[in-house]
Amino acid sequence: MNVKEYIASGIVESYVLGLASKEEMAEFERMCAAHSEVRVARDAFEKQLEAHALNNSIKPPAHLQSQIFSEIDIELDKLRSTQNNGTVTDDYTPEPAPVVTLRWWKYSAVAAIIFLLASVGLNIYLAGQYNKVKRDYTVATTNFADTKQAMQTRLTDYENSLQVLKDTNMAVIKMKGVSNSPESMATVYWDTRTKDVYLFVNNLPEPASGKQYQLWAIVDGKPVDAGMLNWNDADGVAVMKNIPAAQGFAITMEKMGGSPTPDMDAMYVMKML
Amino acid sequence: MDTNQSYTEADLVQLLKERDNRAFNYLYEHYSAALYGIILPIVNEQEVANDVLQEVFLNIWRKIDSYDPTKGRLFTWMLNIARNASIDMVRSKSFQNTRKNQPLQENVNWNTTAQLRNMDNIGLRKVLEKLKDEQRTLVELAYFRGYTHEEIAAMEGIPLGTVKTRIRTALIQLRNYLE
Repeated sequence: MNVKEYIASGIVESYVLGLASKEEMAEFERMCAAHSEVRVARDAFEKQLEAHALNNSIKPPAHLQSQIFSEIDIELDKLRSTQNNGTVTDDYTPEPAPVVTLRWWKYSAVAAIIFLLASVGLNIYLAGQYNKVKRDYTVATTNFADTKQAMQTRLTDYENSLQVLKDTNMAVIKMKGVSNSPESMATVYWDTRTKDVYLFVNNLPEPASGKQYQLWAIVDGKPVDAGMLNWNDADGVAVMKNIPAAQGFAITMEKMGGSPTPDMDAMYVMKML
Repeated sequence: MDTNQSYTEADLVQLLKERDNRAFNYLYEHYSAALYGIILPIVNEQEVANDVLQEVFLNIWRKIDSYDPTKGRLFTWMLNIARNASIDMVRSKSFQNTRKNQPLQENVNWNTTAQLRNMDNIGLRKVLEKLKDEQRTLVELAYFRGYTHEEIAAMEGIPLGTVKTRIRTALIQLRNYLE
């Protein structure tokens, strides 16, 4: 494609309106740097768009201006106060304490009393520590038994998950986060023999109360329920529904128990095959 | 304050980077209505548009240092801040909004044309009316609702390459109607 065709391909409009992908943007910026014609074409469309926006402007309510500028003033103060982070001066100097002379026996008596008090204090402290350790020990023994039980259950879960991951007949489908939640990710393991579907959550936010994630298989352009995700199972591989054929998978957040059709605005991850 | 004074774009940007109050006032006087005309057709409600406009100006104030004139004009940069803030606002609102979390009717396709809202007489939307239905839907989803080309391909059941070509063709046509 020569430069002329590149300019006429719609990339200029797509870039300026913010609809180009990251790769397209990088390429366009390279082309702008290399060819002045591309820059001229971009500039022309930008000016046209700006003129259109100015001609189609709508005046915002008058009170907004002062509101916005008082917010900006607050930001400006914040900016300045972090810039001049001065040190606090401290002019306080303590007055010298009066000096009193004592006889030698008074010194000994004072020392003995201090020693006695310290000793009593130490004893009380040590007795307290002993009782605390004794209590902690009892609690720890019971906790240990509980933990062991819980660990065993978890271990069994993980072993089951591992079986799914190890299986060589699994199709692995990584679903990436959509623009609503780019950090999200989840993986579908799809048994090519039995068509059983398993779901592994790599990263999804905890659902709000009364809400539950629902897996959808996309079959001929239409979403088909592929099962609800029990959030307690989300740290292992969860068993979902059997799906004989699909062109993609997606997850949306739905009300507890699921919906017959997905809420498109609450989609988190998706992958088309 | 003299708002009739005019600046070259380079001077204006320099003053904005110095957080010059007069320059920001100038910016507001000259561009707030144009940006409001971008925001309103996306968010559809005046109250919401007011909040978005405030956020947009604060973002311009905060991020002006990251504006790079080699990548485009100042207005384009502001337009994209305004469009992104509007789409984010609509999305965060629809996430909170339980009404929208109710399931759609039976047999509904991924096609979202039916959900598209009505604010047909403002800004780019007015121009959008002149496009063919199929093109209009794609531009609506991409520009006004902020879906990526991949998401649109899945929602509409069209191959990704076709989505991209159709959107680009639509944008070129849109541009011809902009006069």
